[in-house]
Amino acid sequence: MAKTSVKSKAPAAGKTTASRKAAPAKRPRPATRPAAAAGGNGKGKPLGSVLVVGAGIAGIQSSLDLAESGYKVYLVEKNPSIGGVMTMLDKTFPTNDCSMCIVSPKLVEAARHNNIELLSYAEVDKVQGQAGRFKIEVRKKARSVDLAKCTGCGACAAACPVDQRIRVPEPIPVEADETVVKTDAIMDRYPPQRASLIMVLQDVNAAFNYLPEPALLRISERLALPYAEVYGTASFYKAFSLEPRGEHLVQVCVGTACHVRGAQRILEEFERLLSVKSGMTTEDRKFTLETVNCLGACALGPIVVVDGEYHGSLNLARVSRLVDNYAKKESA
Amino acid sequence: MKLKHVQELERLRSQLSSSNGRSEIVISADATCCILRGAKGVAEAFRTELQKAGLTDKVHLRLAGCLGFCEIEPMVILKARDILYQRVEPKDVPEIISESLLGGRVVERLLYVDPATGQKQARIEAVPFYGKQNRLILGANERIEPVRIEDYIAIDGYAALAKGLTMKPEAIIEEIKASGLRGRGGGGFPTGKKWETCRNAESEDGVRYIICNADEGDPGAYMDRSVLEANPHAVLEGMIIGSFAIGSHEGYVYVRNEYPLAVEHLALALRQAEEHGLLGENILGSSHDFRIKVVRGAGAFVCGESTALMQSLEGKVGRPRAKYVHTVERGLYDRPSDLNNVETWANVPLIIQRGASWFASIGTAGSKGTKIFSLVGKINNTGLVEVPMGIPLREIIFDIGGGIPGGKKFKAVQTGGPSGGCIPERLLDIPVDYDELTKAGSMMGSGGMIVMDEDTCMVDVARYFLNFLKGESCGKCVACREGVRRMLEILERITAGEGRLEDLDTLLELGEYLQDTALCALGTTAANPVLTTLKYFRHEYEAHIGERYCAAGVCKPLFQYVISAETCTGCQVCAKRCPVEAISGEKKGPHRINLETCTKCGACFEACRYEAIEKARIKERVA
Repeated sequence: MAKTSVKSKAPAAGKTTASRKAAPAKRPRPATRPAAAAGGNGKGKPLGSVLVVGAGIAGIQSSLDLAESGYKVYLVEKNPSIGGVMTMLDKTFPTNDCSMCIVSPKLVEAARHNNIELLSYAEVDKVQGQAGRFKIEVRKKARSVDLAKCTGCGACAAACPVDQRIRVPEPIPVEADETVVKTDAIMDRYPPQRASLIMVLQDVNAAFNYLPEPALLRISERLALPYAEVYGTASFYKAFSLEPRGEHLVQVCVGTACHVRGAQRILEEFERLLSVKSGMTTEDRKFTLETVNCLGACALGPIVVVDGEYHGSLNLARVSRLVDNYAKKESA
Repeated sequence: MKLKHVQELERLRSQLSSSNGRSEIVISADATCCILRGAKGVAEAFRTELQKAGLTDKVHLRLAGCLGFCEIEPMVILKARDILYQRVEPKDVPEIISESLLGGRVVERLLYVDPATGQKQARIEAVPFYGKQNRLILGANERIEPVRIEDYIAIDGYAALAKGLTMKPEAIIEEIKASGLRGRGGGGFPTGKKWETCRNAESEDGVRYIICNADEGDPGAYMDRSVLEANPHAVLEGMIIGSFAIGSHEGYVYVRNEYPLAVEHLALALRQAEEHGLLGENILGSSHDFRIKVVRGAGAFVCGESTALMQSLEGKVGRPRAKYVHTVERGLYDRPSDLNNVETWANVPLIIQRGASWFASIGTAGSKGTKIFSLVGKINNTGLVEVPMGIPLREIIFDIGGGIPGGKKFKAVQTGGPSGGCIPERLLDIPVDYDELTKAGSMMGSGGMIVMDEDTCMVDVARYFLNFLKGESCGKCVACREGVRRMLEILERITAGEGRLEDLDTLLELGEYLQDTALCALGTTAANPVLTTLKYFRHEYEAHIGERYCAAGVCKPLFQYVISAETCTGCQVCAKRCPVEAISGEKKGPHRINLETCTKCGACFEACRYEAIEKARIKERVA
């Protein structure tokens, strides 16, 4: 990293003074400097310098824009490295773009830009003056590393006996309760590989009528897949339920053939009688109401499956009878 | 018994056919819909009755899979007498045996009645439903039990495989190419060309995969389920021939989770084929090895798309990818992978056995062979029909399908599932083939054919499909995720009576964007149901918007139930049935519906036996 004379005075702890004209980041073009407008593209010489506090994505972008238009920028960051919170995130709202893909080119650019001086692991102590003419004192904390030579290889951190490295979190062992025992028995039937995931989930879902969290954790542990992957797969496919279902599972076919024969009204009647919307379970956990896209038994439409039993050619009157019958029945 | 040579297969076949001289009774008993209609009970009744009559040795009872005519199932065919009985119940069985089988008389009340002419038909050939069909694939269903490989072998099963193994792989591919077979899953890509590309594609370790797509997601289509349930060996034989031609040793069948019986029959068929040396190492004594695994889907429509299906096979979330590199080059585990539909595979043995020129003689210039359609919805003869390509839609719907029930008027036929479109009456004379249907704005699709009558609202149908696709969009590309949702919002507004005329232009515009920009076929075709209904039924959209009226009586805010004072007999059934007590009136006097409390659930409309309740235009709108 290119270092200025300001730094060389105080390689370790101490106070550094950036005593040129400096303006806070929020006001990159103070009114006192009309030359800035003309001076952007290297024709007129830009005057003065700017101090940006905080090297998150906003600070870095401001610094880069300012540096590009010709200002000298001091970028102060209290942490040892720049990048801020964005580097810790997976995705950005609302586009779901990858955060590191956006921020990392800017990190490199900020570090390499001749007009930017990074003051990392440093904090602003004192601000004097007014817009157009600031005097700012920055305290640099002891780093004990010569930044001019450091390549960031990380070997010192690995060698340090005090061991304050960031460690990969150890897996939380899943308690071997009944759910886990059952899950284990299912998993023993399949080779421990990624391709087995959906089949395992299907069997677990069938065994418990839904996918209990301890089971998902166990699957993630034994297939050596991140929990997020397992959960993501479980939530993608419609056949899986992440919540316990009721005693009786009512599946209304809403295939096109059933739709034109009035499946919508059948569904609405179920919703009315059970006082739940499709996809929900009644409060007494008696019924879960779901829709299914097509059962391929179109001659019998509108058709409903309750606990695996098919009921075809339904009308509204039969729906209420059906609900009554199953309400009386014990769990399947 | 492991067959180590083609001759052993032939020997087994000759033994099987010679022992099969008994009189036969065929029951459509081993398919999902037949079981629902109580076919298992009928089969059981036959078994006990035959035993009682001491006929077990003389009569062979065959529990066949789907015979296609779902409307009249369970069907019983007495082969010796050439009689077909419909909707048989267990209590009819003793009479059938004593009267018909032994006595040679016909049980009149169980005969099929042609709804058009009122005539009774005893012979299966005389039933109009079967008249215009050409059941190349489905025809075998009647002659076999799906759970018995012996039955399949007896009707020349695996003979095509035996023949194929003597051919050069390239020659098989040439044969398939010459036959003009195109993908039956919907896309219509030439099968032979696909095989050739897959065979020639580079694979780092020589591994190639064969996949059978049985993720039949289109609502209203069930021909794949039926073929797998009724004749799983035909599909397996096609796959084994394909594996030999392509040079693959590992295959998968990806079946929908909603088809438990198909999975069961398929797994059984796999085991039998392995036991007979038709799968596994050194198939029929040749040097070819091939194994098949069955994988169940988990309820995601998008997994019928090739790249998503392969992701799902790998145990991942089924999201499609852009196909700059086709799956025949880099598919499952980045190896060349050939994916064909169930019906396509079932066609392969026929072509190899009977020759490409025979196959190519059926159908039209661009579409060869037959296609199975599931004829469902508002149609008299619901069922699976297999017709030669090029037959006009009108013949399928009115001659085979027997027209619309209840004397209602035909409105449209929807083909191609959620990716297809609605075809109006004036286009009913177009021949059914890949290109003609695409020209009409629809597509062949997997073969669902949903008939709609005057009680179907086309705006609601478009809304239905978009709602379906909204739920099934994997969410990867913006065009599909957001575009479908926005279009659905507009349609929901229109069906709620809050539509604006300019909405129609927005729908068209969004639809075209979707076609141009979505990542996979699910997205690019997602707008078809809207675009075709807008094209052919624009007046319905305009009535919803301009007149605030849904003539079909489907969109609840756009019509009201009214009791006709003249026709109402005052029987009070409707008042009793009404869940919100909105109907009032004296006994034997005309009733009235309180429009304030009526929720338009339709219970009264359904209950009235005098057709006194009408769906009417809303005259005064409460602001």
